[in-house]
Amino acid sequence: MSFAAPPPSRFLARRLGFLAASNAVLLVCLYLRLEEGASFESILGAVARDAGPVLLAALGLTGIIAAGAIDLSIGSIIAVSGSVFGILIHREATPLFAWTACVGTAALLSLLNVGLVLALRVSAIIVTLGALAAWRGLALIVAEIGIPEFNGGLTVSAPYAPPGSDHANAIVFAATVFVLVFARVAKTPRTWIALGDSLEAARLQGLRPGRVLTSSFAAGGVLLGLSALVHVTQLGTIEPARLARGFELRVVGAVVLGGTNIFGGEASWLGTALGVLLLHFLDLTLVYAGVNPYWREVIVGAAILVVIGADCFLHREAKRLREVS
Amino acid sequence: MNRKHAVLIALLVLEVVVFTMLERAGGAASTGVAEHVAGYLAGVLEQSAPALALAFGMTLVLATGGIDLSVGSMAALIACVLASFEPGASFWYTAVPAGLALSLVLGLTNGLLIAGLEMPPIIATLGTMILYRGFCFVVLGDLERAPFFDVPGWPALGELPFVVAMVAVLWGGAGTWVARSRWRREVLFLGGNRVAARYAGLRVFRRTVEVYTISGLLAFLAAVTFTARNFSANAETLRGFELEVIVAVVLGGTRVEGGTASLLGSFLGVLVIALLEEGLRGASLWAENALPFHPSHLRYIVLGLLLVGAVSANSRRGTRGVWRKGAVRSSPRRSPDRLGGKGSRDGIDSPSSNSEE
Repeated sequence: MSFAAPPPSRFLARRLGFLAASNAVLLVCLYLRLEEGASFESILGAVARDAGPVLLAALGLTGIIAAGAIDLSIGSIIAVSGSVFGILIHREATPLFAWTACVGTAALLSLLNVGLVLALRVSAIIVTLGALAAWRGLALIVAEIGIPEFNGGLTVSAPYAPPGSDHANAIVFAATVFVLVFARVAKTPRTWIALGDSLEAARLQGLRPGRVLTSSFAAGGVLLGLSALVHVTQLGTIEPARLARGFELRVVGAVVLGGTNIFGGEASWLGTALGVLLLHFLDLTLVYAGVNPYWREVIVGAAILVVIGADCFLHREAKRLREVS
Repeated sequence: MNRKHAVLIALLVLEVVVFTMLERAGGAASTGVAEHVAGYLAGVLEQSAPALALAFGMTLVLATGGIDLSVGSMAALIACVLASFEPGASFWYTAVPAGLALSLVLGLTNGLLIAGLEMPPIIATLGTMILYRGFCFVVLGDLERAPFFDVPGWPALGELPFVVAMVAVLWGGAGTWVARSRWRREVLFLGGNRVAARYAGLRVFRRTVEVYTISGLLAFLAAVTFTARNFSANAETLRGFELEVIVAVVLGGTRVEGGTASLLGSFLGVLVIALLEEGLRGASLWAENALPFHPSHLRYIVLGLLLVGAVSANSRRGTRGVWRKGAVRSSPRRSPDRLGGKGSRDGIDSPSSNSEE
């Protein structure tokens, strides 16, 4: 295949191996720790549904980070999507239209982010840090304008729920497989990596940086929309003020854990998927091991720090060795 | 004092005028205008004490080209630990030293991760932000504890005299010293070009650790002034506060890429944002009927617009035109560029890592 992606670098290969091994270890731990009543199959069957929103958003963000940008506003974008979705439910729109609007809103806001990055020539981290605040406000304002007697929550009624319940596994599974295959065979993801690696070289090679960056945000926006759809329809009530707050941290954590360089130029969608699974299984293992739920956030934070810290340490040691020889 | 500071001061004056008018139009006109404005400003200053403490450290951190996302979590964790002690006079020699020691440890941890392990600051502090927030839950769980009201002298720490003293010592005293010191130039050099800084013989490791440790120690001050005003703390305290601090500092003219910093600007930036929040709260009386939504939601949008607008205005000069054809960057690979703008992957490059490419 002429467009086959190059093999991963030594750094990425090491990270992928580590993630696969630790996922396997966690699965074995889970298997051994299972109590009566919870079956191993039921846990595996629920992986796509429970980890789905983070997984889809993380796969989308991987492309954006690969291109040298970042989107910190994804949690707030989900909140706007949720508000729009809730209003359409309130107005009794057809479910298909409501779902499309939910996905479309996220994609649109994502494009708006990249439009601002390109138009203002401000780094993506700043634009999306501002957007993190602005879209959250927008979600609240939209909800209050759309529903006159808004009381902080919007209910999701049964006809609108299938994407989060019955179809969640299918949506997440199909989207993930599509992304992994696309990343392997298509050219577009590699233009993102090229842009992230060196803007100047990418430009000299004939790529148009603005377009390449826009395509990464467009793809990320659609995946974020699917993530919003699965996440929002899983909930009984949508609260725009609290919906997906802090979501971006978990997603960025998973992407970085997966071996994608936070400054762009090196990315692995497979690594991202493994990183999301690692965090999910770690969470589950802690639950079944009876760890105090208050310790779980500490352990997730520590896991991210330890994995990336170890990598930075090895990177530094390798550099020192090169200096000596 | 330069043009940018003048703009910020003009913005401050504008905010005071507009919000005073809105508030008086809303029916809160029991006192004279001068008294009203004075009381208003005093309230804003008291309220913004935690942000003022953190913004000082954040300015220094951004000057080195780093970022500290964990300041909100650090201040919250220190507040939670303070809150877990028993009230009474003994609070002063049990909780306070413990909080101070903790702040030192938290700041040092950030500094050592970044300077020692060469982790990118944004990742290291993202990790510690989650980690420290997790510890808040470990310390307090779902409880809300409020021992502060019963600690003799504690409420005074949130009142105007103490806040003014803090501002005078921190922004007046330490700020003036920093502005004239060789230390400041080294920190800025570090942010401008780390590789060159190391070649020039600067102690890059030490300066980096120092800056993050200062940020940690100031989180203690933020926790103290916060609890002295709010009297209670829980595990969700100050969530998202780092954003507000970063916006204030950037608004003041400090560049996130490092190498340019303005302490006076940060001070004014904090006040602009504090006034805005207070103003929107006050104006809600007037706007309740005029707008179809709650006016306090506008705060988020204005905050976002201010951040993006301020950075856009700051970066008009210098690096503009990377997208233009023919613009050549002289910086090495993985240098902060217009897309990422988050510093180098290695955190701190050694001179050799540059020469091998």
